[in-house]
Amino acid sequence: MNLLTLVLFLPLAGFLAALLVPRDRPGLVRGFVLVVSLAVFVLSIGLALPQAPAAQGYWFETNAPWIQSPAIRFHTGLDGLSLWLVLLSTLLTPIGILISWNHIDRRVKEFYAFLLLLEFGLVGVFVALDLFLFYVFWEVSLVPMYFLIGIWGHQRRIYAAVKFFLFTMTGSVLMLAAMLYIYGVTGTFDYPTLLTMLASGRWHVESGEQMLLFLAFFVAFAIKVPLFPLHTWLPDAHVEAPTAGSVMLASVMLKMGTYGLVRFCLPLFPNSARHAAGWIVTLAIIGIIYGALVAMVQPNMKKLVAYSSVSHLGFVVLGVFSFTQAGLDGAVYQMLNHGISTGALFMLVGYLYERRHSLEIADYGGVATPAPWLSTVFLITTLASIGLPTLNNFVGEFLVLQGSAQVNFRWTVFAAIGVILSAVYMLWLYQRVFFGEAGEPVRHHVYDLSRREWAAILPLLVLMVWMGTLTQTFLPAISASNARTLERSNVNVEFQVKARTPLVAGQAGQAEARPAKEPPDAR
Amino acid sequence: MSQYYTATDHFVLVPAIMLALFGCAILLFDFWVFPEPKQRKWLLAFLALGEAFAGYGLWQQHTYIAGQGIAELTAFQGSLVVDGFSLFFNWMFIAAASIVALMSYRYLEVEGEHHGEYYSLILLAQCGMYFLASGADLITLFVGLELMALCFYIMVGFLRSDKRSNEAAMKYLLLGGFSSGFLAYGFSLLYGLSGSTKLSEIGVAIARRDPADPVLLLAMVTTTVGLLFKISAVPFHMWAPDAYEGAPTTVTAYLSVGSKAASIAFLLRIFLGPLASARAAWEPLLVFAAIASLTVGNLAAISQHNIKRLLAYSSISHAGYMLLGLVAGNETGIKGVAVYVLVYTFTNLGVFLVIVALRREGLVGDNIDDLAGLMHKSPGYALLMLICLLSLAGIPPTAGFIGKYYIFLSLIQAGRYVLAAAAALYVAVAIYYYFRIVRSMFMSDAEDAGAMETTFGVRVAAALTGLGTLGIGIFPEPFLRFAGQSLIR
Amino acid sequence: MTTAVPLSWYLILSAILFGLGVAGFVFRRNIITVFMSIELMLNAVNLSFVAFSYQLRQTDGHIYTFFVMVVAAAEAAVGLAIILTVFKNRATLEIDEVSDLKN
Repeated sequence: MNLLTLVLFLPLAGFLAALLVPRDRPGLVRGFVLVVSLAVFVLSIGLALPQAPAAQGYWFETNAPWIQSPAIRFHTGLDGLSLWLVLLSTLLTPIGILISWNHIDRRVKEFYAFLLLLEFGLVGVFVALDLFLFYVFWEVSLVPMYFLIGIWGHQRRIYAAVKFFLFTMTGSVLMLAAMLYIYGVTGTFDYPTLLTMLASGRWHVESGEQMLLFLAFFVAFAIKVPLFPLHTWLPDAHVEAPTAGSVMLASVMLKMGTYGLVRFCLPLFPNSARHAAGWIVTLAIIGIIYGALVAMVQPNMKKLVAYSSVSHLGFVVLGVFSFTQAGLDGAVYQMLNHGISTGALFMLVGYLYERRHSLEIADYGGVATPAPWLSTVFLITTLASIGLPTLNNFVGEFLVLQGSAQVNFRWTVFAAIGVILSAVYMLWLYQRVFFGEAGEPVRHHVYDLSRREWAAILPLLVLMVWMGTLTQTFLPAISASNARTLERSNVNVEFQVKARTPLVAGQAGQAEARPAKEPPDAR
Repeated sequence: MSQYYTATDHFVLVPAIMLALFGCAILLFDFWVFPEPKQRKWLLAFLALGEAFAGYGLWQQHTYIAGQGIAELTAFQGSLVVDGFSLFFNWMFIAAASIVALMSYRYLEVEGEHHGEYYSLILLAQCGMYFLASGADLITLFVGLELMALCFYIMVGFLRSDKRSNEAAMKYLLLGGFSSGFLAYGFSLLYGLSGSTKLSEIGVAIARRDPADPVLLLAMVTTTVGLLFKISAVPFHMWAPDAYEGAPTTVTAYLSVGSKAASIAFLLRIFLGPLASARAAWEPLLVFAAIASLTVGNLAAISQHNIKRLLAYSSISHAGYMLLGLVAGNETGIKGVAVYVLVYTFTNLGVFLVIVALRREGLVGDNIDDLAGLMHKSPGYALLMLICLLSLAGIPPTAGFIGKYYIFLSLIQAGRYVLAAAAALYVAVAIYYYFRIVRSMFMSDAEDAGAMETTFGVRVAAALTGLGTLGIGIFPEPFLRFAGQSLIR
Repeated sequence: MTTAVPLSWYLILSAILFGLGVAGFVFRRNIITVFMSIELMLNAVNLSFVAFSYQLRQTDGHIYTFFVMVVAAAEAAVGLAIILTVFKNRATLEIDEVSDLKN
């Protein structure tokens, strides 16, 4: 048992133990789960310490047989891609517990227990190196989120919970079918083994077959991301979820989709991924602009932040499917950024809701007067979210735009429009909520941040600045694993010709759609 | 012992003898020795003893076969056979019957129809199942089937003064008799074609015939119809919702796992034995029945308000999944059906157990709304129900996922991608209606605050089903090996 | 001069009887009649077994026939008891009127 398995299973143990706590001791449950989640976080920091960026293979690997036939192994490990996502999950769980402290007043025990179970599922998704194990954790993470939305959500919670579950499940059963197909052909679910077989040519996939497999995986991940036009479950889920649920959903759960794209879609189906890149990027860009435009007209703060997520995650997909080092680095960095800044936004919206009990922007105005610190924190988060230099999002968006510019400059132009639009809707939101004349209810109900609320938000503020300035803490590990991913997505000999001129690859889809236009020069 | 009843014959027959013996003993003791209502727990003890003796007989067969390293042991000139397949199913029947008996005691008290015959009928039905799993002769199989079915007809109508129970029994009886007629007619043609009632000899004779022979086709179609009736596959499923809804809940539980598993065993024996060579002819029929079962079962379940009826439709869709394993026809598929049946047994018993535990004076507990707020009232049972429903829907890490997984894998290995994709997509539909129950339990508030009254037996049964459902999901290895031994060669 | 009745005649008769049983089951509305239709189907089965058995000069088919008869008798005993309770509770034997269980 190494540190990683400890980090993985401690939340599960905490979940089981929390269930045993007597129902009438909510304080005890809260304290207990907070201690457990903090312990998990502290342990998980240890995961980041010994990283040697150039290391081949995986850190903290565990590889034990689970089921003999079919050969399913309990194979877990970390690399630069998953390391920070694991840390993000373990950081946000205690924060989620803190922000729910007074907010959740019924079925307290179950709420916190489900949060720990969710953490178990999320960490598992990021560390699983066996396709089957990945699928198991994928589903495990689904169930607690269903309950978090369905039990502790707002009015239309049940509709939202069922929609969330059905969307994700439909995608994931297709993914399961594809996994089984892969197993049928290769006889293994083991991800590193599959990569070796692919590289050595022992696993040969026809192009049509590969496209179908790619699509099965891609749809599952695209629903989770969510990529336009599969995003419709997201606003409902966010609006109805309790604050902690929204935070976990936006910050970590959506990353399961983008993580899956980088981890599985690119290396396992390189040709199809490159062939499909054209229209995927098109969808991503539509998502960026559509999400921003819809966010602009939302009267509901949570919906606004939810649509801004659709927009932000479009950047991630754009970066991934640019097939450049910069784009991919930016995409992974943007996953973390989005987790931190959007998580913080949802928390702050939750703080406002706890005070005024409304999510409608129209019910606010002049909040800056009674709550100056809250306004300051909100402003920093807003600026981070719209990509102000020295704050985290800037780095990610810049890298993504740089990467996409290497392939197709038009992509960059459209995506940059999204950046501008994000500044518009976020600042406008800020203006409407915090400035102006404070109405009677606002003056009466809104008060400044409490110490508990400070404790929850402060780590995220620190990270926003840290990630915006000291990128060297995070980027080397990410770049190293992305370099390997890119190298793998070039393995196919037939494709190496195209790989040298990424233009052609990226253009393939678009060139068919719009043959009149000539490919612009990228450099 | 004469040549007509050798030591081997006896050895093979011991579990059935025990079941029948204790079944009859319960009848007699109920009448003469324990006539007082309070003494009925001794009858339960008798049942336990009967199961223990049957289990001991089965254990001896198990060790004998493993010790000798033989594939099978035949008795009565090949009419009965003990092999991995029969042992696998018979162990399952013992588990199912025991769990059902444990949960029945309090339920029957509440219903006011607590009679000793009930326990006797459980054992006698199980005796019929024994012959269905071990039979290798048309006569043995037919008699076993009818023994089981007759016991179930009575049990379904056990609540004599309840109109719904009467009606369920009547419908089950008429449609069951109808399907038996088809089956017997098919058997008579098989006999005429091959000149024997032994499955092995029929197989040899059929392999020699032209597969397009119309009489053979008629024989096959009628046999298939009869078998599909028994496993409640569409289009021969009409009896299941009514019988499930009207029957006492404990009987529904037994019907849904015991009768289903035995019928599947029967179906596998016939299709993988004598009819194996005519695969090309029956495969399209089964594909159609499987897809129709998935469609009708899943879609009809969506609109149900009665949980028992909902579970009846869900059980129809599960029959579709089991048929798909047979359609795939490879080793994974057959193993998959066996695993699926095993998983389904524990899971479905768990679901019904919660409904049984809900039953008390003034609350039937078979409406979805009756489960409202169960998480608050008794979290343990809500958790059991959740695990079991997740398992029925096929979500890891519960047992149901392992079952579905094998079926999908077998279809993919057999190159039937369209079927695999269809089967996978119906999982999403199934989740919708299973989660209606979950929603009611976890997300609605209780309409009445009445606490659940449970007994020791119900709690033991709950623990068994819960452990089974989770255990098979998390540590599937021993169960998979066990199911692997059941493959008919 | 005696010529044996050919096997096919028995089989055709059996098929006709079976078909009549099925038709009766599907179209008749009285529970007792429906039940009798099932018995008719089983008797068609018996006829076909006996005919085959005679043709093959074997006893297996005869034995099967005896079992079918026993089963039919047991089914009648159980079935009539169930039908009796239905009649007691509802005072009708029309199958369409026994329809509490519906979607």
